[in-house]
Amino acid sequence: MSFYIFYCSLILYLASTVSYLLYLVVYKRIVEQIGYYTLISGLVVHLLATILRYIQAGYTPITNFHEALSFLALSIACVFLYMKREYKIDTMGSIIVPTISLLLIWASFYPSDIKPLPPVLKSYWLPIHTIFSFVGNAIFFIGFFVSVMYLITERSVKQKRSSALSHRLPSLEILDRVNYRCIAYGFPFLTIGIISGSIWAGFAWGSYWSWDPKETWSLITWIVYAILIHNRLAIGWRGRKTAYMMIIGFLSILFTFFGVNLLLGGLHAYI
Amino acid sequence: MIIGVFGLNHTTAPVAIREIFYLSEDIIPLLIHDLKTHGISENAILSTCNRTEIYFVTENIDETVQTVQQVLQKHCSIQHDWLTSYTYCYTGEDAYRHLFLVASGLDSMVIGEPQILGQVKDAYRIATFHNATGFFLNKIFHKTFNVAKRIRRETKIGYNPLSISSVAVELSKKIFGELKHKKILVIGAGEMCSIALKYFKKEGVQDILITNRTFYNAQKLAEEVMGRAYPFTDIAQLLTGVDMVLTSTGSEQPIINKETVIGVMKKRKNKPLFFIDIAVPRDVDPVINDIENVYLYNIDDLMNLSQVHRADRMAESKKAHAIVEEEIIKFSRSLQQMDRGPLITDILGKAEDIREKEVQKALSRLNSYDEDTVKAIDTLTKNIVNKLLHPHIQLIKKNGTPQVLETMKRLFKLEGCEENDDEETVDSWDKG
Repeated sequence: MSFYIFYCSLILYLASTVSYLLYLVVYKRIVEQIGYYTLISGLVVHLLATILRYIQAGYTPITNFHEALSFLALSIACVFLYMKREYKIDTMGSIIVPTISLLLIWASFYPSDIKPLPPVLKSYWLPIHTIFSFVGNAIFFIGFFVSVMYLITERSVKQKRSSALSHRLPSLEILDRVNYRCIAYGFPFLTIGIISGSIWAGFAWGSYWSWDPKETWSLITWIVYAILIHNRLAIGWRGRKTAYMMIIGFLSILFTFFGVNLLLGGLHAYI
Repeated sequence: MIIGVFGLNHTTAPVAIREIFYLSEDIIPLLIHDLKTHGISENAILSTCNRTEIYFVTENIDETVQTVQQVLQKHCSIQHDWLTSYTYCYTGEDAYRHLFLVASGLDSMVIGEPQILGQVKDAYRIATFHNATGFFLNKIFHKTFNVAKRIRRETKIGYNPLSISSVAVELSKKIFGELKHKKILVIGAGEMCSIALKYFKKEGVQDILITNRTFYNAQKLAEEVMGRAYPFTDIAQLLTGVDMVLTSTGSEQPIINKETVIGVMKKRKNKPLFFIDIAVPRDVDPVINDIENVYLYNIDDLMNLSQVHRADRMAESKKAHAIVEEEIIKFSRSLQQMDRGPLITDILGKAEDIREKEVQKALSRLNSYDEDTVKAIDTLTKNIVNKLLHPHIQLIKKNGTPQVLETMKRLFKLEGCEENDDEETVDSWDKG
């Protein structure tokens, strides 16, 4: 049942993707609005699918790759909609919504059948650790796109290209502010995610910190973002430098999320 | 009668000198009246931050230029040698060529800038208001406005200050998003600034800081746009608190350099700063565009973005100059035609005078004469005079070049020809 609803949400996301891509070409408000409302309905259906899956499985459905990608897509959609309400970053949808769809398509290639939960994951820490980590990752995902967008726009303004006059990209100040929001919100989520993971590890594996590749890389990620926050607040970094740091941090997240599992393995082998 | 211009501009005098020569709208009427009492009944004064020029109509160019210099010295605190070292004087065709070039913006620092036409119009309006324009200046100024309009219409030389301003505003929006709560600092109180400011105000910019070397002008613009005026020396401090900087001073040297901006950016904690430099020569050192979070656009960048390319502008400028030359030929011809009428009447008048005198002499020698004889003598002499003069008059009418007119004047020893000898020859050489 949740499986069909999952596909329903994918179809809605794809419809939203189409309108957002079309928006990039025609730049009509109505097209963006259609994309926006399909995205919201896609998100609602997606949330429903996730809740149904939770009810069916009896545990928080973030335990395998399919579920992880799906939840990541869900979080990104939530964070984007939140940011969009706060700032005028409509055109960002043209990158973010396709990404959400791609993540879901990718998720659909992985087995999605509900299996009994491995005993080691049976814990109250499962929802806490996973939700915080994933929402944090989703926020940094948005931060990454915003940073890339910032660098492109900044370049065109600095080099005095005619594309600097394009109305379609958000202004540098808004991009920088969203970027700051991303680090300001994302960092606590990431921190709580790591700490809760550590506590959980203490219960489950007997040691709070065992230098497992996943742990090490999440620590590296955390350090990158910590340096970024410090430089931003204390030294007054802004704009280009913070955008580059956001991108580095995000690459580190990507490696923590995908690279470690695919290349390094280790204790944290579930997702 | 010959038209002349005496003055200085941005190519002959540095800004410090131009500032001293600057004549405000309060002083200009005094000068006009002074010139009139000195016998220069037709004169007009154009004074902007880039030029001060006095146009006049005269019979004797040297004397008039001297008078103009005296009057200038009386009203501005200028040293005598400045009057020769920084100035130029054009007469005849060169004078109205100059006026055509000035009015169409071809003599401006920023080629094609449109404000100058308005300033020329103002100069003419003030002169007319004070009854200082006559037949010649009226004709020349009206022609000038036509030429300037034609150039504006037929070439793309005149960049649009509106498009420049709107590009500047678009870029600001690109950098800052909403401009409502942004602060703008204006350095220089010229017309370009006030036009650009209107656009920024339309976007909701309310906090306007203005500074200028001459504080009074800053205050004046501040009143006009509801901004605040600050002393020129405060620039570095002001830079720390604003988001956008619009500069358009007449300074020869950049007034904002890299070191200042680096220092300012530290104090600002890297808050973005956008410089819009519409001054020529530049007010802001171009290298500051390399500083992080600092953006600099000068007038060329803005023009390029407003889709008028440099190469195009060069071609357009050539086209404009060609139009000026074409109009000068036409105008010179019409001026010459104006000259012929009086000359013909002068010649005929003089001949008539001689004839009458001679007839009187002849009659007085006769003892007795009847009316028929008088009539016969009259007709006879008139016919002789007319037949003798006919080829000359025909020559003037058909081929009235300045040389011919000059020869005619000499032939008939008409008054004023001795005095005018020098300038008339110069004039005709120019045309040759």
